[in-house]
Amino acid sequence: MTTYIVRRILMAIPLLFLITIISFAMMQMAPGDPTALMMDPMIKKENLEAYKEANGLNDNVMVQYFRWLGNMVQGDFGYSLIRQGVPVSELLLARLPNTLLLMGVSSVIAFLISIPLGVISATKRNSLTDYSITFVSFLGIATPNFWIGLMLIMFTSVHMGWFPTGGVSTLGSPFSLWDRLHHLILPAFVLATADMAGLTRYSRSSMLEVLRQDYIRTAKANGFKNKTVIFKHGLRNGLIPIITILGLMLPSFIGGSVIVESIFAWPGIGLLFIDGAFQRDYPVIMAVVVIAATLVVIGNLLADVLYAIFDPRIEY
Amino acid sequence: MFKNRFLLLIILALMLIVSACSDGEIKDSGKEKEKEGEDKPKVEEVEKSGGSLVLGTTAAPTLFNPLFSTDTSSSTIEGFIFGGLVTVDRDFNPEGDLAESWEFTEDGLKWTFYLRKGVKWHDGEDFTADDVVFTYGIPKDKAYVGPRGLPFENIKEVNKIDDYTVEMILSEPYAPFITITAQFEILPKHILGDVPIADLATHRFNTKEPIGTGPFKFKEWKDGEYIELVANEDYFKGKPKLDSIIYKIVPDENTLMAQLQVGDVSMTGISPQYVEMAKKLESEGTVALSTGASNSWEYIGYNLRNELFQDKLVRQALTHAIDKEAIVQAVLDGAGIVANGPGSPANWSFNPDMPKFEYDQDEAKKKLKEAGWEPGADGIMEKDGKKFEFVLKTTSANEIRMQIAEIVQQQLNEIGIKASIELLEWSAYVEQTGPPVWNFDAIVAGWSIGSDPDPTWFWHTSEIENGLNYGAYSNEKVDKLLSENTLISDLEERKRIIGEADAIVAEDQPSSFLYHPNGTLATAPNLKGPIFNASNTYYKIHEWYFE
Repeated sequence: MTTYIVRRILMAIPLLFLITIISFAMMQMAPGDPTALMMDPMIKKENLEAYKEANGLNDNVMVQYFRWLGNMVQGDFGYSLIRQGVPVSELLLARLPNTLLLMGVSSVIAFLISIPLGVISATKRNSLTDYSITFVSFLGIATPNFWIGLMLIMFTSVHMGWFPTGGVSTLGSPFSLWDRLHHLILPAFVLATADMAGLTRYSRSSMLEVLRQDYIRTAKANGFKNKTVIFKHGLRNGLIPIITILGLMLPSFIGGSVIVESIFAWPGIGLLFIDGAFQRDYPVIMAVVVIAATLVVIGNLLADVLYAIFDPRIEY
Repeated sequence: MFKNRFLLLIILALMLIVSACSDGEIKDSGKEKEKEGEDKPKVEEVEKSGGSLVLGTTAAPTLFNPLFSTDTSSSTIEGFIFGGLVTVDRDFNPEGDLAESWEFTEDGLKWTFYLRKGVKWHDGEDFTADDVVFTYGIPKDKAYVGPRGLPFENIKEVNKIDDYTVEMILSEPYAPFITITAQFEILPKHILGDVPIADLATHRFNTKEPIGTGPFKFKEWKDGEYIELVANEDYFKGKPKLDSIIYKIVPDENTLMAQLQVGDVSMTGISPQYVEMAKKLESEGTVALSTGASNSWEYIGYNLRNELFQDKLVRQALTHAIDKEAIVQAVLDGAGIVANGPGSPANWSFNPDMPKFEYDQDEAKKKLKEAGWEPGADGIMEKDGKKFEFVLKTTSANEIRMQIAEIVQQQLNEIGIKASIELLEWSAYVEQTGPPVWNFDAIVAGWSIGSDPDPTWFWHTSEIENGLNYGAYSNEKVDKLLSENTLISDLEERKRIIGEADAIVAEDQPSSFLYHPNGTLATAPNLKGPIFNASNTYYKIHEWYFE
């Protein structure tokens, strides 16, 4: 097991390396540079050139990449080109906890809603309930979450006043756990909707698979109550493959966070990334790419390890 | 066993959430921790009655140093924190700020500023002439790489006469000196004086602890959330009535409107596509609106490097083919004024009597015919076997301009001109259309005039190579008038010259001038003070208050 984990981590290094090369190349290929924002009649051309020179923007792309890589490996993400003088690591540290919190709560919500729905769907296969759940799931897959987000803001926040319209906490109020949670519910729910539909479908088919097994029939034949059979014998085994989904959900969470964070004014790395991308703030873009890629790699590794823990048949 | 593991997982997950919840502030070093400790007793501050002004914006600022920032959010906040020698009132008239008064010699070369006495920096130090000399020296320094070099270029000398008198000598008369250069905010010498000029752009003063002389003091910048400023009790024009300003960042405009509606934001600018919604909120009594002409114009700019657009008749014909009034109605819901030439009715230099090329398809066809263009077999205009086809570029960052592009495409199609639309992301758009690429046939764009109306930037031949004259418009007479305009200190005389130049430009139609948009400001109904104007939105903000 330990050797497996170590091997996986070692394998992740070239992968991350490759990701940085591709991202860096794409970023450089995109037209424009950070000075596009400074289009202004008050700029002297020589000052603009000096700015580019001072920030190494005139160097060969390879030189720029290896300079960045060398610093990154030593844990130095450099300085923002737009927020001059502010280290990228400072921005990341301020934002990452917000995003992790959002993603954590979102996945809990997604699991708490989807798994029961999937189980109900499976046990009542081809019933009206099953069809309704399937219908709602597909509706969920088909609806973009920015739209769900805006609708929820309009109805639950503006009209009903149940939730705040955005942000992480009430401005100027002292810290309170309830206040934080209150601000968290809507964005976390919206982020969760992206995966909820798929997860419901997944747990439904996983449960159906298990319910067809011989041991379920044996259990039923032994005279156990239906409830016991489904929840004790069926669910435990049916849940195992869903752990894999956990790892697969991370990329979509990270992608979704860009949108959800914009809509709910949630200061996370998704928002940092999108600002960085529009302003061509290269060090910020690259830092977020590295963080996101690392999260995904860790997420997948974690899923595999958990799988082995929960399913004794699997050994690495 | 299985059960325990599962339980453990859930407990772990919950712990993660709770710890993340309670730990929003990241402590990455010992220093930060100490700072946090100092900040703690902020809870009991909320007793005074002045209230807190929450300004909503979609764009986060970058840094608070007027000599290094270029974005609107940063300069707005700089206006609260710092003071300049001179400011402008709501009609672009210069008004004393840190300078109580000023005078200049008849040749416009020597300016003397008499500074206010008793002004204190936010840290309690005295403001003196040394600070002025220091600040004006920065952009003149060889090591300066910031974006504000040009306005200071004509300054030959800055001399301290005594602690409260500064004299500036210009190399040639420069009319925007008082409306642009003298308005730059002054920086504290006692803090930044020893910092090498090359390091100023990245100094922590700009993002962590800006110290100014303005009505509000910097308190906190919560990255991605807000910037908090508190009233400067010792402000030299009187203690602000508001307790604090919170500059809140709401990236999504729909959300910003929702926040305005529930009162989470007490003031914000309304972009044209939301004006209708804002009017509805006004009728419900949720917000108060204030509106007026803004200092800008929208246009279809032609690249005169392209043969298609080199004939003045053709350009006039294109303008005749565009129904500007319909555009104003369609994209702005009527909240704009049809433009005939450059400038803005909000500005003192505006010329209301420029040549007009009104919507008239027959006239357009007639002029095209005169220029040698005839309809071909497929209905598209042709000349010497060449079809009148071009690409109209604009940026996807601006919804209004995308709509304009579509309408213009259709209207031109009606007289047999084929325009295809290409949308570009903002940075890509800037790179493709600006120097030295100029890869465009025509663009939908807009210009806004700063606190000085000097049109040199847009039309002077010298601005083609590196400047904002993207379309490469060149007219000797205009060049001569524009070169003259900045040398004249007399306002009336300058107005006449700018007006004359603008009229020639309007006759030449290097762009089809479309309209001057109205600006709209939404505020909480009980907020007293703000009035929409194109000149100085936050004029006398220290007198604003909540009822």
